[in-house]
Amino acid sequence: MPQAIFVVHLDDYQGFVVEKRHPFSFSLNEKILNLIFYEHEKEEKENLRYSEIDNVRIVSFVDRARPRWMACFVLTADEDYEGLKEEIPGMGRLIIELMVENPELVHLDEILESHSSLGEASEEQRYAQIFLTPSSGLVLEKIENEGVERAAKLSIWLKSQVQSDSVDLRESILPLMDSGIVNVEIIGKGIEAVFLVKDVFAYRAPPVEAITKARKSMPGLAAQYQQRVAEFFAPPPPSRGYNPTIPSDDPNSPLVEDREKIARVLSKKIEYKVLTSLRDEPLSVREISNRTLLQEEIVQNALFSLESENVAAQIGEGIWALVTNPIMESFIPEFVLPLIADKLSNDEITPEIARRHLEILAEKWSGEQ
Amino acid sequence: MIRSLYILGQQSNVIYSKEYAKSESGEGLVEFLVNFAHFISSVDLEGKTEYMGFSGTRIFYAARRDFVFMFVADKADDTAQIEERMTQLVDAFIKDFATLAEANLPLEGLDAKVDEIAVTMVKVAILGYAGVGKTTTLHLLRGETLPLVHDPTIGVSIKKLPDEVQNANIVLWDLAGQSRFSILWAKMIANAQVVIIVTDSTLENVLRSKKLVSLVKEEVPEAKVIGIANKQDLPTALTPERVGQILGIATYELVAIDISYRDRLIQIIRKAILEGKGEARLVPA
Repeated sequence: MPQAIFVVHLDDYQGFVVEKRHPFSFSLNEKILNLIFYEHEKEEKENLRYSEIDNVRIVSFVDRARPRWMACFVLTADEDYEGLKEEIPGMGRLIIELMVENPELVHLDEILESHSSLGEASEEQRYAQIFLTPSSGLVLEKIENEGVERAAKLSIWLKSQVQSDSVDLRESILPLMDSGIVNVEIIGKGIEAVFLVKDVFAYRAPPVEAITKARKSMPGLAAQYQQRVAEFFAPPPPSRGYNPTIPSDDPNSPLVEDREKIARVLSKKIEYKVLTSLRDEPLSVREISNRTLLQEEIVQNALFSLESENVAAQIGEGIWALVTNPIMESFIPEFVLPLIADKLSNDEITPEIARRHLEILAEKWSGEQ
Repeated sequence: MIRSLYILGQQSNVIYSKEYAKSESGEGLVEFLVNFAHFISSVDLEGKTEYMGFSGTRIFYAARRDFVFMFVADKADDTAQIEERMTQLVDAFIKDFATLAEANLPLEGLDAKVDEIAVTMVKVAILGYAGVGKTTTLHLLRGETLPLVHDPTIGVSIKKLPDEVQNANIVLWDLAGQSRFSILWAKMIANAQVVIIVTDSTLENVLRSKKLVSLVKEEVPEAKVIGIANKQDLPTALTPERVGQILGIATYELVAIDISYRDRLIQIIRKAILEGKGEARLVPA
């Protein structure tokens, strides 16, 4: 177990600030902080670094989504770095997330002792990023209409949409590439094409699985729980519940105004961990804490946050359950097939681009259904 | 930058004032403010902060209960930011000091509170290639004795200027000049209000340093960039004018090992902070 942990923030004015440390007596100097930061900046892709500076063995973690934070673990002289490689990123991720979202909940000694951690972003969390970057959402809408488009044309279109020359298509398209929604490839003589490979939709599902389990494990609360869910999705008239604005011809269409909210809920790493633990069944704070290895205080805080978004609610004395289950799912964009055919017949794309698009779709979806 | 601050009481008497920078209007300003406060106390500002131009400055004012609060600030200052500080001052005063003022008791702790609200932090980055004298310049600015052994900076060294320049705390970021640390420069100069590009006044170094000017203009376009032609005591040094011509920025002479340059350099930085703010306001949003 590391002998010390410290959390560093690079402040634009004050420089490196050690925001938390454990034990408190552990001391550091500016040189160590500089060299750790420099090591991470050297290779932007890697987020875990091992350094030996002034006889101090330090493993440092940087979450690229929080680039000015470092969680650093000081190893004892005989501690094996290889053995900690799996565990430290998760702990680091949790520490940094808490420092940004709720610093008073950071108790480094407890995190170290309980091995609390956060996993890497799940697929639906990567989808969520699209709707948290307004220009990415715009590009997705455009590519849904086009199926395939040249990057240069897309860039000009985006600049005209946001009325700014400074908008960078690469940054806007990154969340779409990271989540596998689009592929960007050079075709033929230098044509950079953006292909729609997957589409994504967001919605709140009724927590059917949790209700079913509740009927078996807590029959006394199940009826009340079901009633609570029904109030949200199908309340008695004149209330209209969750679904009324969904176009009747497309039952899967999400509420656009709720999509961003869903994206926000899913992208919050701690809330997401608590949310996923409740997808199976209703649980008490202690049970969630045991399953997630997050301290009860952190769990409680996440539950309050989920409650404010109409995701979780207390259904009995100390028992929490999902009222709605926010989901982001991908699906095969069948609608692009006629678009490709039209574009090809109108000479808007080359046969090579059309062929490649079909290939990509086949590669992506042939093994998944 | 807030130049001075006044709190006036029921009889439009000045119950507290603090001057961070000399104002050209001097005594006339105080007289004007007292008369103006009398007028303000008779109108309803609906809890808002308002402002007006006055002799090259801008006067921000607010009234609460029987008190009138005034800031004299630069015209280039961000009005929203000054208004926010006014709100902070008014709230803090009403909460902790109004009753004391009404009872004519000493306003202990008000001075520190005013400083906390009115003093701003200004980041000045010192950039340049290895061995040109950046750290020596930092020592000079801080009035420190120069170390006998050259110890190259690792990453960045951050120090405060011991004295406030007007009511700003200057934070100096001395960036390591070795080329391996160049990957940090863009990140480290973020949010700098002034970037000082230090050269050793040799032709080779000045030509190389043109790249730094481009980097700064790209990364922090709103910052004021000034050049330093250091090591002017050496016979091979280019003149500051020539260095400035090559770099394309206002450039000043320096012998960083000579303490007599300290005040002059601080004045240059002070001027750059003020000019930088004025220019930044002209940058389109």
